[in-house]
Amino acid sequence: MKIKVNEVELDVTPGTSVIDAVFAAGHDVPYFCSQEYMSPIGACRMCLAKIGAPRKDRATNDWILDEETGEPKIFWFPNPMATCTTQVMEGMVVDTISKDVKKAQNAMVEFTLVNHPLDCPTCDKGGACELQDRAYEYGSGESRFVFDKRHQEKHHALSELITLDRERCIHCKRCVRYFEEVPGDEVLDFIERGGHTYIGTLEDGLPSPFTGNITDICPVGALLDTTSRFRGRNWEYHHTDTTSLDDPSGAALRIDTRTGRIERIKAGLNDDVNKTWIDDGTRFGHEYADAEDRITRPMVRRDGTLVETTWADAAREIAERIAGMDGTRIGIALRGDATLEEGVAAKALADHLGSGRLDTAPRPAASVLPDGAAATLRDVATSDALFVVGDPTEEAGIVDLRIKDALKGVEPAPLFPHGPAIADLRLKERMPRKREILTICAPYRTDLMKHAGQAHVPPATSMVDLLHALAERASATVDGGTPSGAWDDALGMTAAEADALITRMRSSTRGVMIWSAFVSNDPRADEAARTFAKSVGAKTLILGPMANTAGLERISVLPSHDRYDYASMFTPETKALFLASLDPAVDPKVADRLRELDLLVVHAAFPTATSALADVVLPAVTGYEKDGTTLNVEGRLLPVRAAPVEAGTATDFTGVVKQLGEAFGTRLEGRSVKSARRVLRKLLDVDAAELPTTGQPLPPVRGKASGARAVREYARATGDALIVPSMVRVEHLDRNPHLRAERGDAALRAHPATLHAHGLTSGDVVTLPIGGIPRQLRVTASEGVPEGLWLAPTLPEQPVGLYDANLAAMVRERSATAEVA
Amino acid sequence: MIELNTIRPYFEDKPDVLDEILGRYPEYGRRSAVMPLLWEVQRHERYVSEARIVEIAEIVGLTATEVRGVMSFYSTYHGEPVGKYHLQVCSTLSCKLAGSDEMCDHLEDSLGLVPGETDTEGLFSLQKVECLGSCTTAPVLQVNDTYYERVTRDELDALLDALRRGEMPTPKRAREGDNAQLGAAPLAGEAFEAGTAADAALADAEAAEPENPEGGAA
Amino acid sequence: MSGAVADKPDTITSRHDPRFEVTLYKYVGVEGAHTLDAYLAHGGYGAAKKAFGMEPSEVVDLVKASGLRGRGGAGFPAGVKWSFMPPVDGRQRFVVCNADESEPGSCKDRYLMEDDPHQLLEGMMIAGYAIGATKGVLYIRGEYYHAYERLRDAIEEARQRGYLGENVMDSGFDFDVILHRGAGAYICGEETALMNSFEGLRANPRLKPPFPAQAGVYGLPTTINNVTTLASAVHIIEKGADWYAAMGTDDSKGIHHVQISGAVNRPGVFEVPMGITYREIIFDLAGGPKGPAKAFIPGGTSCPLFPFDDEHLDLPMEYAAVAKAGSMMGTGGLIVIPEDQCIVDAMYNVTRFYAHESCGKCTPCREGVSTWLPKMFQKLLAGLGTPEDVDLMEDMVSNLRGTAFCPLADACAWPVQTSLKYFRNEYEHLAQHGTPLHPRKDRWQS
Repeated sequence: MKIKVNEVELDVTPGTSVIDAVFAAGHDVPYFCSQEYMSPIGACRMCLAKIGAPRKDRATNDWILDEETGEPKIFWFPNPMATCTTQVMEGMVVDTISKDVKKAQNAMVEFTLVNHPLDCPTCDKGGACELQDRAYEYGSGESRFVFDKRHQEKHHALSELITLDRERCIHCKRCVRYFEEVPGDEVLDFIERGGHTYIGTLEDGLPSPFTGNITDICPVGALLDTTSRFRGRNWEYHHTDTTSLDDPSGAALRIDTRTGRIERIKAGLNDDVNKTWIDDGTRFGHEYADAEDRITRPMVRRDGTLVETTWADAAREIAERIAGMDGTRIGIALRGDATLEEGVAAKALADHLGSGRLDTAPRPAASVLPDGAAATLRDVATSDALFVVGDPTEEAGIVDLRIKDALKGVEPAPLFPHGPAIADLRLKERMPRKREILTICAPYRTDLMKHAGQAHVPPATSMVDLLHALAERASATVDGGTPSGAWDDALGMTAAEADALITRMRSSTRGVMIWSAFVSNDPRADEAARTFAKSVGAKTLILGPMANTAGLERISVLPSHDRYDYASMFTPETKALFLASLDPAVDPKVADRLRELDLLVVHAAFPTATSALADVVLPAVTGYEKDGTTLNVEGRLLPVRAAPVEAGTATDFTGVVKQLGEAFGTRLEGRSVKSARRVLRKLLDVDAAELPTTGQPLPPVRGKASGARAVREYARATGDALIVPSMVRVEHLDRNPHLRAERGDAALRAHPATLHAHGLTSGDVVTLPIGGIPRQLRVTASEGVPEGLWLAPTLPEQPVGLYDANLAAMVRERSATAEVA
Repeated sequence: MIELNTIRPYFEDKPDVLDEILGRYPEYGRRSAVMPLLWEVQRHERYVSEARIVEIAEIVGLTATEVRGVMSFYSTYHGEPVGKYHLQVCSTLSCKLAGSDEMCDHLEDSLGLVPGETDTEGLFSLQKVECLGSCTTAPVLQVNDTYYERVTRDELDALLDALRRGEMPTPKRAREGDNAQLGAAPLAGEAFEAGTAADAALADAEAAEPENPEGGAA
Repeated sequence: MSGAVADKPDTITSRHDPRFEVTLYKYVGVEGAHTLDAYLAHGGYGAAKKAFGMEPSEVVDLVKASGLRGRGGAGFPAGVKWSFMPPVDGRQRFVVCNADESEPGSCKDRYLMEDDPHQLLEGMMIAGYAIGATKGVLYIRGEYYHAYERLRDAIEEARQRGYLGENVMDSGFDFDVILHRGAGAYICGEETALMNSFEGLRANPRLKPPFPAQAGVYGLPTTINNVTTLASAVHIIEKGADWYAAMGTDDSKGIHHVQISGAVNRPGVFEVPMGITYREIIFDLAGGPKGPAKAFIPGGTSCPLFPFDDEHLDLPMEYAAVAKAGSMMGTGGLIVIPEDQCIVDAMYNVTRFYAHESCGKCTPCREGVSTWLPKMFQKLLAGLGTPEDVDLMEDMVSNLRGTAFCPLADACAWPVQTSLKYFRNEYEHLAQHGTPLHPRKDRWQS
């Protein structure tokens, strides 16, 4: 429909808010309470404008005409209107610049500043503050408010991660609405009313995995990221727009650095992927990159001690020691968050050495690539029937949020030239959620289950059988057939529930099935899941264990033979190993084996149990410091860009291959990001250097996905310890003090009855060998864990799945009661 | 948190009360029960402690934060205990024009309290409140849930004496004009039923028991 | 304006008119009138029975024809509001009674609920039948405990004897009432805030649209009316639309309840025909001002005030005439301000009320009404003000007008704005001399 903003005439879609029309017309109105992807509420009154519209004569249905001009007469609303909560109408006229409007806007700035302190010079938001900008643009420049401003707490720790300055709050309600509308965790609310209103919680912190986003959307310096408070001014920061390598969702990040240090991470905008949200693990888990003990220079072992040296020297040492070695006895392993470029480099190195022992870890036993096209995150967000096997909140937080989008049932709005809709009038506070479209199945009670219409917690040992039974039942009923054979309710779902699920998925047109390593680690479970999805006509989304597991599989960073997989690298057949960012020595048996190697080269950012055994240690960059490309869960290629972090001579794996090539006297493909991208262009038909920040979908592989199968099946059918995914990377926890303080130590979760049976109390710290790896964990009681089962967070060396816990060998390091005393 | 473990849940032994309150609302409107549940607790404990907020949140399926957000919005829920007699002086325009400022001064002097305070015995709390809807019978003093309308100095003194003795006097009838035919004599001084039966019952019960500001803790 | 008596000799616009009869308040103040038996004894629930014999749309049309307008303050035609309900689609529908009477100067609903609760329940029942709502919500302000008890008992009694519940009075119509107590928040008188409050939320007003008829209580179709609006429906059904429309003026028909307080000799609630002049109300019904008066607020403190002069005293009490003169009929809560009352002090009192009651949702109300404006009054009253402060207050008040999310900020701005218009000299006197033109005096009768 046609409308006019000031003198600009434009066409807008019916349903558009006036504020978006104003921005689309290239004009501006200030606003504080509206927020992309959230409901408009008209609270701050900053976006006032004069609005008029023509009217139709009820009797004739013709426009009422202005007698003088003969044009449709404009009837003005008597009061200025909030443009964020007003919908466009045919022929509407919007005035944002006349004297009356300016007076109203000026007055709103003045009211907003009544209780806002003048501490911009010491405020972390200074220079990047919406209020500061708007006060400058729309305010009068001086204050007529001569009284004492409201004095309130200035350093209130809402949690270990978020500090609230109550004086600065302008009550826009973005944070309060955010918690209800986005993660659905109502842990923050307004307290009191009128001029006494403030935000607060009674929850003992902010128990939600997605709290940090409120620091991004706060229009003032009221809500601050505690990890970055007082660390720098906004104009001093260097911004790097990149992609998260913390999990496979591929969320857009903005890394703010200053003098070679990461000061904070904020969410970036990627409408198709993470919108403007990231999880707390991703946001606050960066402190480790600046830890004191970073490895910044290569080291070689001389007389039993690692001593610093140059890259050239270290490379020469390696070249000399593997010269003449049987290439098939050399293994190379990357972690699953390596970039595609690093994968190309590793492949080039393996080819040069004549080794087929190339792998990534952790890598599930089954492929993480879908058969055909994956469901996109947009498919998830617009799905009308979702079946989730696993714990997406911990595995890929953005998937959790996109599932919650689907529960609202609002189609994503198209982007405006100015970005996402500032005020999408279809979004409301406290929208009803269509919980019934979501079914979740996991071997313990997951956070997302409280939003699900159907939640099933089958015994961990029957997950595979349950999937099988579901696949069989779905297959049998494809053409309206009747299920044959008996159904065993003990699998964790009744026959009626199974049938309801199958019917619901099958009758939907936008069904999506989501699964993760709980399934992928067992080829039989994987096959069952694929069969089920196919027979009910659902698209699939497979969550890999690490950020780029799927991408590395896609470009075949894989062993040439099943027997050459990662696990096989710790057999006596192997003589030399290149391990990038992996720490298999946490398993004492593996450590013994590593000691017997002729050569152990470790590429790592920090000292580890494995680097302590290495012959050569090469300094590695973290995921924040790489240039490269990653493939996210939906098959979207996304650019990873290096933030300027001081890390000495550390490089990514392409740098390792460059140095080794020089020592070998050859130029290996993948010896730089640029060189690796030439290979990628051939492999994927994409120029990775040209990727936009929001990435681009990679066409799927035709036919059935195939990947080498791992010999070692992580998911076992039995065991009393379940390794579970964790958005907070346990391997970095000690170097992430704020995150650790908020989320706690790595937890050993068990049902209170289980703890009682073993004489344990919440808070005890124990060392428990799980699957041969001694894990130091803090005991936590949780009703959500089935009795008899122990839950521990995953490590790169200990993928999710069932293991045997050696309870007899459990050692109590500290008891909770002793600590209190 | 310690409080949570040591205080018995208020509704633990009152399933009938809980069922009645929850039963007033449709299943999809369970959240509506927040206000009556807060009233129920406050009526018996004179305030709503954090432990009770947590309990109510669990009953209706909300976070404690939300219940606190709701409770703190309203001016008549108390997060701190008030005295046995909560004296609320309406101070809005009609009452002001009928002398409520002076009435409040008189109460401050008589009780030695400033509005917002409770005496050390926990007998009286004094509060200035906004319009109680007794404008034509101003000034009005609300004691707990009972209105004393068109209060005079002498009546106020007598009322305070009675309260000190633990008696809630029956309010006088003070409505002129309401259904009076033009020129007819105003209705005044008619007998009025006991202020509120529940108030009286509470006053009796409390008179019999020692002060227990922690409510159900015993 | 529409000098009703002259133009239409048939209409009743004075309580002196012998044809006028007190109706809604007939049993208010009568001992024992609150019981079901007493109500039935004078024909109670007869109107509902009569309504059940009509089509719901006929009931709506009848109320439309009567000219009944909302008595909660806004004056929206009640029958028209009822007709906004969407077609019956199987969803639960609600009729809500707004008994959160909180406008300073108003108390008509309290007495009716205390003394004649069944009249209100019958009114709700009729409205429910007309709009197809089988559930009523009666939201009563928390302080009205005595009225709450009366209503609670009345509902229980009605349920037990088949006047509420399934198949009311064997009519085939189900109707029950949820009685819900507020807890001290003026903003709950705003219909959408009331619905939030009822749902157990913080009582912030909601965005409109959607209007209650589309998405009200629990997001379901809802009609919300004031206590005396609903009670009026009983008598309109019983006596007919013509009877009701025969009182008042073209613009404003029927009965209203004037609640006079402040400096008059006989404050009270008076049932009057619309179109009655303020002079008749103040001088004849309320016994005249107690001493010289300088201003009166016609409909509760949210309304712009009028100077106490012939021009304004002779205004007929009707929506259009009062609006044209610059104020509102509001709830009919008429407050007479005496000559010797400092207007600045009085307006601070009013401002303080709105400051206390601001919900805090929107900026001008939270920071202007609830924070800045009272501070300006305090400064002035403490003798620390300057003439510039008076200008600043005037400008600030104009900035509050029409900019806030809901009418609460306007409600505060209006009386202050008009006080500055008519009594600016008192503000200036305070600013110049540091002392009020009219010092405080003891107003407490002993």
